[in-house]
Amino acid sequence: MTNDKTIRIEPVTRLEGHGALTITLGAGNKVKDVQFNIGSTRFFERFLVGRPMEEVPRIAPRICGICPEPHHLASVKAVEAAWGVKPPPAAIKLRRLLIESKQLSSHAIHFYALAAPDFVFGPFADPSVRNVAAVLKYMPDVAVQAIKIMEFGQELCRDVGAKAIHPVTAIPGGMLNSLTEEERDKWLKAVPQLLENVQKTVDLAKTVVKAYIDVITKVAVTPTYYVGLSNKGVLDIYDGTIHVMDPNGTMVADFEPKDYTKYWGEHVPDHSYATHIYYKPAGYPDGIWRANTLARCNIAEKMATPLAQAALKEMRDLVGRPSHHTFAYHYARIVELVQAAESIKKLLEDPDIVCTDVKLSDVTPRAGEGVGVVEAPRGTCLHNYECDDEGIVTKANIIVATNHNVGGIEKSLMDAARLIFEQDGLKKLRLPEPLVKT
Amino acid sequence: MTKRIAMAQLTSCWGCDQSLLDLHLGLLEVLPELEIVFWPAVVDFKIKDLESMPDESIHIGLVEGSCRTEDDVRLLNLMRAKSKILVAWGVCSCYGGIQGLANQWELDELVDRKFMKADTVTDPRIPSENVPAFVPQVRPNVDVVKFNILLPGCPPTSKNIVEALAAILTGKPFDLPEKSVCDQCPKVKQDKHITKFHRSHEGRIDPSKCLLDQGYLCLGFATIGFCGAICPTVNSPCKGCFGPVLRVKDHGAKIVSALGAIAEMEPEQLKDSFPDPIGSFYFTDYAASYLSRMRDKARSKKK
Ligand code: SF4
Ligand code: SF4
Ligand code: SF4
Repeated sequence: MTNDKTIRIEPVTRLEGHGALTITLGAGNKVKDVQFNIGSTRFFERFLVGRPMEEVPRIAPRICGICPEPHHLASVKAVEAAWGVKPPPAAIKLRRLLIESKQLSSHAIHFYALAAPDFVFGPFADPSVRNVAAVLKYMPDVAVQAIKIMEFGQELCRDVGAKAIHPVTAIPGGMLNSLTEEERDKWLKAVPQLLENVQKTVDLAKTVVKAYIDVITKVAVTPTYYVGLSNKGVLDIYDGTIHVMDPNGTMVADFEPKDYTKYWGEHVPDHSYATHIYYKPAGYPDGIWRANTLARCNIAEKMATPLAQAALKEMRDLVGRPSHHTFAYHYARIVELVQAAESIKKLLEDPDIVCTDVKLSDVTPRAGEGVGVVEAPRGTCLHNYECDDEGIVTKANIIVATNHNVGGIEKSLMDAARLIFEQDGLKKLRLPEPLVKT
Repeated sequence: MTKRIAMAQLTSCWGCDQSLLDLHLGLLEVLPELEIVFWPAVVDFKIKDLESMPDESIHIGLVEGSCRTEDDVRLLNLMRAKSKILVAWGVCSCYGGIQGLANQWELDELVDRKFMKADTVTDPRIPSENVPAFVPQVRPNVDVVKFNILLPGCPPTSKNIVEALAAILTGKPFDLPEKSVCDQCPKVKQDKHITKFHRSHEGRIDPSKCLLDQGYLCLGFATIGFCGAICPTVNSPCKGCFGPVLRVKDHGAKIVSALGAIAEMEPEQLKDSFPDPIGSFYFTDYAASYLSRMRDKARSKKK
């Protein structure tokens, strides 16, 4: 019989997936253990077996309804790698447009609906107002600008992928549908307003960062490794090699996706159905890494577009490189939001984007193994399939963004819990007046 | 008067939530009519808040996902008890969803593959602390509790969701369409002379013509017409993700019998065309099939 106190928060809200939090406090409020309990899983790796491999890109998006595009694309890339297929260049551009559109809407929704309520109303506001519905009520202008960005991203996903949630157009060998000139023109016309709304988001984010700088630099500053794609030093969410940065900021690995099993270990915790991926050469828990926005921004030498590059520079001036500040994830999200908007503009301006030569007609299955990787908004998304000579799946391994992050989330929650329970640190933090009082 | 609404997620992908959010500015019209009392995706209410509400105090309960764990079963029962009108939100909730395909295997095989045998796993074990137990198979939620409304789709479109909410808010009945996806599809249909089936990546598709007529397995004929024929419109065969047409209990059985009638092929040849009949004919509703229910029964007997 111990006198340990257990705090259980269930469910962890404003997060997709089934999460609960279990914090164990010992004598003198010493934080003994922090568990992030993910309470379900669906066993895709098993039930993909036996399916014709070209059908897997239709199944895989259903791993996550918030980020189905990265799964659709990592999946189709894995099939193409296994069958030795190279889709036409215009198809790749459409796929890039699809994933950038998702990046745009996902980052906007995360910032405005999941994160901003805490900053705008203050972390101690009543739960009934600390949510996006209240943003709608008290700050309608901000809400409308948020919705407009999300709408742009989701509706453009729909034009390219046919369904924004569980897209259907990518197929081994290319895309089943192209973008019409009318569609392209409609989106090009909407771009200036998008850029304006993105700029307003940047401004709001900067205000918030300034106001909460004490929180950002003191709460959950958690050194870890970082993992992410980078294309010859440039932040790229569709293609590249996988990079690993150590907690000191040294790049310790840079490898082709197909070699991932050499570097990626998968720790199975006793207390969660979401496994923890980590840097295998360093062992567990030393090799715990994080993915997602901050990881990619730490890893990138530079951004792909000019305004995003300027934003990255500003961020680095404030939090350095590497930044271990968990709350800087929100800042990095905004840097990437800018890159997504600029990339969309560039892709839409490319004449190839309406090219109709987007699908090969002579794709033939063969026995083999393929790995497909893209960056989902929350981190590196990897699909690895093996098939027989008819192209029927014999084995599948899938690693989703969450798996890279849960180890790091537990670590940063531990840091936050110590500050709160052991050092009574919340009282000492300088918190600004809420931007909006309710 | 605003209506109290709760949205609960069992094991799912959260795509149904995203589909609701995809109303965009339309949200501004719907939200003022609703008082959200539970929606973990967006609002900070906890399970204990839901538990402490009086029975039937929620006007509209939307349940997304299906039961993969005992916690899911508890939450489903809780939602039933607290809600006046309970809606099966999405194909997972109506028919089990994509994860129903896992019913082809026993639970220990599923768990073994994921936690013990994955290529990357370095310290295999089956998690057991502070996590709910898995249930042996996925069942359609309608087999567990009674629902007032079925809203199929993977996910139901934003428009589908608003139509259902509008009907509930105004007290009107909400009826699913009699149509099939074919009835909504713009492709030109001809008499069917299918002598060979192609796989979906093969060949060049004529974008004006019916995909099934061209020999692609498009399941529009057996699938409820509620999505607007999204996939065939962009040359991607319908996989049936909204579930069967009205009054058909077993989607795959209906598909197989129809294929037998329209394909000009020997039964053996037809059979060889589909190496994965379960995945091909029960994309998101295997859990609701006779086959899966029979396995379920056999499992219970063994125990
Ligand atoms: S019905 Fe489809 S979209 Fe909805 S939760 Fe299930 S898998 Fe996701
Ligand atoms: S393409 Fe598919 S949905 Fe359209 S008419 Fe043919 S079978 Fe029906
Ligand atoms: S066309 Fe078929 S597969 Fe596509 S969304 Fe509609 S029901 Fe689902």
